[in-house]
Amino acid sequence: MIALDPAANRPQFINVRVKRQDGPGQEPYWQLFKIDYEPELNVITVLQRIAALSKTSDGKKVTPVVWDCGCLEEVCGACTMQINGRVRQSCSALVDTLLKDNADELVLEPMSKFPVLRDLMVDRRRLFKALEKVKAWVPVDSYYNMGPGERQLRAAQEQNYPLSQCMSCGCCVDACPQYNKIELERKKDETDEEFKKREEKAWDKAFVGPHAISQAMLFNNHPTGKSIAGERLDALTAPGGIQACGNAQNCVAVCPKEIPLTTSIARAGRATTIHTIKKWFEK
Amino acid sequence: MSDSNSDSNSEPSFFTKHEFAIRRLHSLTGIVPLGLYMCVHLTTNASLLGSVEIFQRAVFLIHSPGPLLPLIEWGGIFLPLLFHAGLGIWIAKTGRSNSSQYQFTSNKRYTWQRWTGFIGLVYLFLHVMHLHGGIHAESWMDAIYKFGFGQFSPYNAGSSLVNAMNLGYGIIWPVIYLVGVLALVYHFVNGIWTAGITWGLWISPKAQARATKICVALGVVLTVISLAAWAGAVFPGKEDVAKMRAIEDRMYEAGVVAGTVPENEHKRDLRGRAAATEESAAAADGEQASTGTTEPAS
Repeated sequence: MIALDPAANRPQFINVRVKRQDGPGQEPYWQLFKIDYEPELNVITVLQRIAALSKTSDGKKVTPVVWDCGCLEEVCGACTMQINGRVRQSCSALVDTLLKDNADELVLEPMSKFPVLRDLMVDRRRLFKALEKVKAWVPVDSYYNMGPGERQLRAAQEQNYPLSQCMSCGCCVDACPQYNKIELERKKDETDEEFKKREEKAWDKAFVGPHAISQAMLFNNHPTGKSIAGERLDALTAPGGIQACGNAQNCVAVCPKEIPLTTSIARAGRATTIHTIKKWFEK
Repeated sequence: MSDSNSDSNSEPSFFTKHEFAIRRLHSLTGIVPLGLYMCVHLTTNASLLGSVEIFQRAVFLIHSPGPLLPLIEWGGIFLPLLFHAGLGIWIAKTGRSNSSQYQFTSNKRYTWQRWTGFIGLVYLFLHVMHLHGGIHAESWMDAIYKFGFGQFSPYNAGSSLVNAMNLGYGIIWPVIYLVGVLALVYHFVNGIWTAGITWGLWISPKAQARATKICVALGVVLTVISLAAWAGAVFPGKEDVAKMRAIEDRMYEAGVVAGTVPENEHKRDLRGRAAATEESAAAADGEQASTGTTEPAS
């Protein structure tokens, strides 16, 4: 690491190029910021420095760059953005490592598949709606005591645990060539409810994304969750289901939690094949 | 999706409702019948490298269904191909390739799968027009023959194929065939790999890696067969054509007598023969010499 090596030539400044946007549907533009080098920065700290500075590299006074963050330890997914062209969390993106790959500048862009609210902040509601679509939960309301659950085999636990690490950050869908941005504009005569309905309908028809397929497989493999396995497979064969996958396998390559998403997709492929054939002949 | 401004109360279309099944059918048609047919086709053509007789025998066999052949062609090849290609273009348009941003091997393969599909489709259109002609109507075949299309005559399989490849200075068609066939071999082999994931045949990364090895091996074998088929059609020269034609004619006449080949003069290379006779007659006139090596028109 550069930071721990006193003999290394440390840069004096860090150039940060940020893709900014003033509001939903507006034209994005680029701004260059220059901050003093400090060792062991992460991208969140860089954004804090920029906010404190509120000045571009040529001294122009600007509004602070807006971004989103939560846990600061790579488990909430809120600070996901494109850093040097690759989608990842900004909290776990270490500047010294990034400078090793590109010493000239850091390039920060908002995620590419969600509507930008402002600067680096995006609206990820569609991501969560997809989890609703595939019923990514265990259907018990804990109202009655139903006794102890079914025992889980070790092998099943080991298969499920990695999938349960998903934090719904959206890296997988951002890198997926089959997952396209949906950004609707509200019509003049439309109420909030009507607009929301239209939006959800558009999301519902479009690809659910690798995260939702993987969560469907997680809960279909759960002793209690599997009671609605068929409903989840119905959702995965509905419009926007697993058939939209193009096997580019970017999802698994960019997943910060290294979740075996393509394994889940192939398992879902097998499950939907069997499910559909069964349904066809049971009609 | 492009139809986001459509009426929000409308029922989803037949296609949208059955997209899952239709796309599984797309995946299936790519392997059976299309991919399988391609393997048989390439292997048959590669047999020309063995001998003219082996190749001609294979073509006689393929043409033995006689009047049923167009039905087999359309039901087993052209219609599945049109379905696979049409839906394939639509599928390609639903994605946005980002392999320059994310340069992972599998992502490049995703992009190549789409490009080879496009290249393959254009190539197959040219290939079918160039040799087959599309429809068998005599007037149509006469018309397109003059423009260098519909060149293949199944009862003079080898010779008419070699002649057809020699059109366009003997370089244009060979290049088109080389690019087209290799693109389709890639498309087929990579398509098997993705189909295995789509249908849930290979699931774990290890299984997918093993499947990759098998697909690469299949790709290498098919490439060798393709190159053999290509060489068999491209390398023979003008003198070879006359020898090939004599063999094919002998096989045809004997076959008709033996009752193993249905008599059909339209499947013989009559047009090519007429053109060759005219050409050689013109050459003899021009040279004013009687030493020309004009082959007898049988």
